[in-house]
Amino acid sequence: MSDAQEPAATDDGGYAVPARSRGVITLVEENCTVCMLCARECPDWCIHIEGHTETLPADEVHRRPRTENVLDRFAIDFSLCLYCGICIEVCPFDALHWSPEHEYAGTSLTDLTHERERLAAWEATAPTEAQRDA
Amino acid sequence: MSALVEAVQAAVGGHVLAVVPGFGPVTVDVAPEAWHPAVAAAAAAGATYADFLTAYDELGLGFAVVAHLSTRDASDHLLLRTRVPRDRPEVATVVDLHRGLAWHERATHEMFGIGFVGNDDLTPLRTQPALGAHPLRKDFVLAARVARPWPGEKDPAGDTGRARRRTLPPGVPEGWGEQA
Repeated sequence: MSDAQEPAATDDGGYAVPARSRGVITLVEENCTVCMLCARECPDWCIHIEGHTETLPADEVHRRPRTENVLDRFAIDFSLCLYCGICIEVCPFDALHWSPEHEYAGTSLTDLTHERERLAAWEATAPTEAQRDA
Repeated sequence: MSALVEAVQAAVGGHVLAVVPGFGPVTVDVAPEAWHPAVAAAAAAGATYADFLTAYDELGLGFAVVAHLSTRDASDHLLLRTRVPRDRPEVATVVDLHRGLAWHERATHEMFGIGFVGNDDLTPLRTQPALGAHPLRKDFVLAARVARPWPGEKDPAGDTGRARRRTLPPGVPEGWGEQA
């Protein structure tokens, strides 16, 4: 997990949501193996994943050529998301985290679909375990 | 054992089908004809606070109707449950014992099509009568689920050309929505 910042505080500094708040879901792209578990478990079908496989040649470590899933698209539609956290629970590789950041209202429904770059950017705001449990 | 459970057993013992401790509170399963007497016995034993009443669809087994009843001071509580058949989903109303359950019986009637005999005001809360269906029954098909492709259907390894068994979204029965 990357270095976490303190959870969001308002401009007047008077109120901040707890670090464990379910504000937004963050993506650690390098942990995602395109296994589709989160997209399949999502109760309201708001996770969109696309990927393809690539064949990697044999090298000193791997004696045979092997195929690897490559992530092409990872998007969460927060206009549908019900913030249940099942995707985060089910991810075997800890690629999804909660962040307490919640100020991402948009002027159209499509603004609420966060593509992989935006989800990855949120990761910087995910609390550390110690912050979350404080 | 909870005093409420003992009171229900004493009152309708012959109609108690099971007493399930679960993770607490205890669930007492009664025959549908003992539904009203069981709720009355619990109320007489102190469970005068009715927290909720709802149902769930057990497909071939019928519908389970559940009520959570508690004492006012929350010192004791139990779940009372009965099962009504699918072809005749009816149970006696308990609104005479807990007036607050009128809303729950209306909602349960609307969502599951369960009749509460003796409750004359089962007007739907949300749906139009013209809908002619009960949205929380498992055979009710959600139009949006049929119209939209399931994002989990995609397979990252799909371009390998190997045929893969078609997977269904969790909780969706085989063949569901095909006739819609």
